[in-house]
Amino acid sequence: MKRRTFAVALGLSLATVGVTACGSGSSAGGGSDTIHVLVYGDASNKVEKQIVETFNKTSKVKVVLDTIPGADYQSKLNTIINTPQAPDVFFNWGGGSIQPYVKADLLLPLDDMIAADPQLKSNFLPSVFNTAVIDGKAYGIPMRGTQPVLLFDNKKVLADAGLSAPKTWDELLNAVQVLKGKGVTPFALGGGDQWPTLMWYEYVFDRVAGPELFQKALSGDKAAWESPESKKALGMLKQLVDAGAFGSNYDSVKFTDGGSPALLAKGKAAFELMGSWAYATQQDANPDFAKNDLGYSSFPSVAGGKGDPADLVGNTNNFYSVLKKTKHPKEVAEFLKLMYSDEFVNAQLAIGNLPTTTGTEQFLTSADDPAYSEFQYDLVKAAPSFQLSWDQAYPPAATVPIHTAVQQFFNGKLDVDGFIKAMQALPAS
Amino acid sequence: MSALSSGSASVRRVRAGRRTGVGVTRPGIVWAVPATVFFLLFALLPLVLVAVLSFTSWDGVGSPAFNGLDNWTKLLHDPVMTQSIWLTLVLTAAGVLVQTPVSILLGVWAAGHQRNRAVLSAVFFVPLLLSATAISVVWRAVLDPNFGVPSQLPWLFGDGNLMGSRSGAIAVLTFVGMWQWTPMHALLYQGGARAIPQVLYQAAAIDGAGKVRQFLHITLPQLRNTMITSVILMLVGGLTTFDTVLILTQGGPGTDTTNSAYYMYQQAFKSFDFGSGSAIALVLVVVATLISLAVVRLSGYDRMRSTSEGL
Repeated sequence: MKRRTFAVALGLSLATVGVTACGSGSSAGGGSDTIHVLVYGDASNKVEKQIVETFNKTSKVKVVLDTIPGADYQSKLNTIINTPQAPDVFFNWGGGSIQPYVKADLLLPLDDMIAADPQLKSNFLPSVFNTAVIDGKAYGIPMRGTQPVLLFDNKKVLADAGLSAPKTWDELLNAVQVLKGKGVTPFALGGGDQWPTLMWYEYVFDRVAGPELFQKALSGDKAAWESPESKKALGMLKQLVDAGAFGSNYDSVKFTDGGSPALLAKGKAAFELMGSWAYATQQDANPDFAKNDLGYSSFPSVAGGKGDPADLVGNTNNFYSVLKKTKHPKEVAEFLKLMYSDEFVNAQLAIGNLPTTTGTEQFLTSADDPAYSEFQYDLVKAAPSFQLSWDQAYPPAATVPIHTAVQQFFNGKLDVDGFIKAMQALPAS
Repeated sequence: MSALSSGSASVRRVRAGRRTGVGVTRPGIVWAVPATVFFLLFALLPLVLVAVLSFTSWDGVGSPAFNGLDNWTKLLHDPVMTQSIWLTLVLTAAGVLVQTPVSILLGVWAAGHQRNRAVLSAVFFVPLLLSATAISVVWRAVLDPNFGVPSQLPWLFGDGNLMGSRSGAIAVLTFVGMWQWTPMHALLYQGGARAIPQVLYQAAAIDGAGKVRQFLHITLPQLRNTMITSVILMLVGGLTTFDTVLILTQGGPGTDTTNSAYYMYQQAFKSFDFGSGSAIALVLVVVATLISLAVVRLSGYDRMRSTSEGL
């Protein structure tokens, strides 16, 4: 009796150990005739599934699409990328988001593929394509759509106050005074999410100092943060906050739970600075408002600033990067070519995304909302510089310190010197 | 000869019986193997790995590189770490101080015989059934400064900047924690209160003690062991509070509600600095263990004294 129990127990425990050991074994990794493509799981997967189907119709080597639910994407990718379970191709934001992988020598430079098919580069808008170029080598092909940050407004509120969308910083300051007099919060801000606050820094710094200042800082030149332009930009932001442009409870409001979009839609606020996805967000939550009263414009110019008023900030696009260990680089190149195909562009436009191929223009009339898509496309095409969001341009280790400093400067916990110090302490790329 | 042989047989039988008896009352060590293996595999091994990781620099990609005491010296001089420990202690203490009286009163009341008690108890225990995520999302909506309750009661909430100010955010976390956990502790106290012998109350009533005196001099002392159990649960829960912070405040504004558990998550899974994250995790393990041991020691719980002694 006892002996048998012991045997069973031992068997059980061995089985446990065995199972655990198998989990980290090399049994996975897919068959030799498939390519695994890993993407951020959301509504856009519809297009990715369609493209994969198209590819598989003609290819011997089949693509398998794996999706990971949005919020967990980056951490899960990070967990598997150096294991046998790693995909062949994966979705990312370019810039700092892939830098650790480039450093660890995991990614395939795409220059040979581009040499074989120059259209892999020439068919995309340069300002976008360059986001995934690291140390002079291309590591990503644009996919999905561009997401510039725009100044959205409530047309009705502006009309009531006798205002139009501000073209200059002075007009913007004037709008703050007028709107406050009417009892309306001038700018809705989801400060609780932190990244919406960051968008204000990105634009004001760009307008005052031009894109070079941030590029310098990003490449490790700490003096950039204490330059006169940097201090001037911070002064302007402080002035705006102190003037009550965002009300006093913005840090309790979020964009992600619908708080700040509701402020704009219900007329409690006149403007919101937000990525182009705000349009789809309003269309989903407040369809009538989106249809009739949602206005949009680009960020105002700053008199005497070095930045071009046509410069943009935001998410330039998403990218597909390729892992070095892939067994099918040829087929991967074929798959990536689909990212500038007519089918891809049409499918993206149909769900409201704006692809960044040079050929997108001729398809704009068939977009979900042609006027809005054209407005965005013209902006992106004309932009001398498209600055990737700071929190994605820096490596992931900098995200938390950037967000914290940005929020603390807005709510007065950090002064100009404190903010500069915090930014200088960021891990350089 | 035959007597002798039968005698030895009976001796043998007795011995055999005794051996079986020992076997029944004290199970062999073999029975502990499955649990021990599970504990080693899923509790001790990860803990050791975390300890090893805390002496490395690792971004989750590639292999960890040993960097000696770097993470620990960095942690020692990290103002956010110091602040997060303070905040963790403040949140934990606030949780215990707010939840204990409420759950004692609710539990003792629920153990009584009032009318509608069963129905009302069921209602009070509803939060126990909800996930922390659902609770946090609901309270975030209720406390929205522009569309929630604060916008209707400006005389109480001012501009409603609860989650955007340090004191407001701490108050919200404490309140939501209370809403979430009080039912469970009330359930413990209900069980404890039901186990108190009625004789004690009858004797007190004969001596002329009123409800309040009965509560103070019989119920409370008799609930001593329940209280220790409940407080230990609150302490450990408070030290590891994470989900409500993640959803309600994300450690903000700034770092004002970044407690140690959230800071650990931030370092490991947002900044991809698993070395620092592991060091914070170890600190949490040590602090939580020490506090639990201290409570057990100081309260005399380890001596297992019965509250019903002298009956």
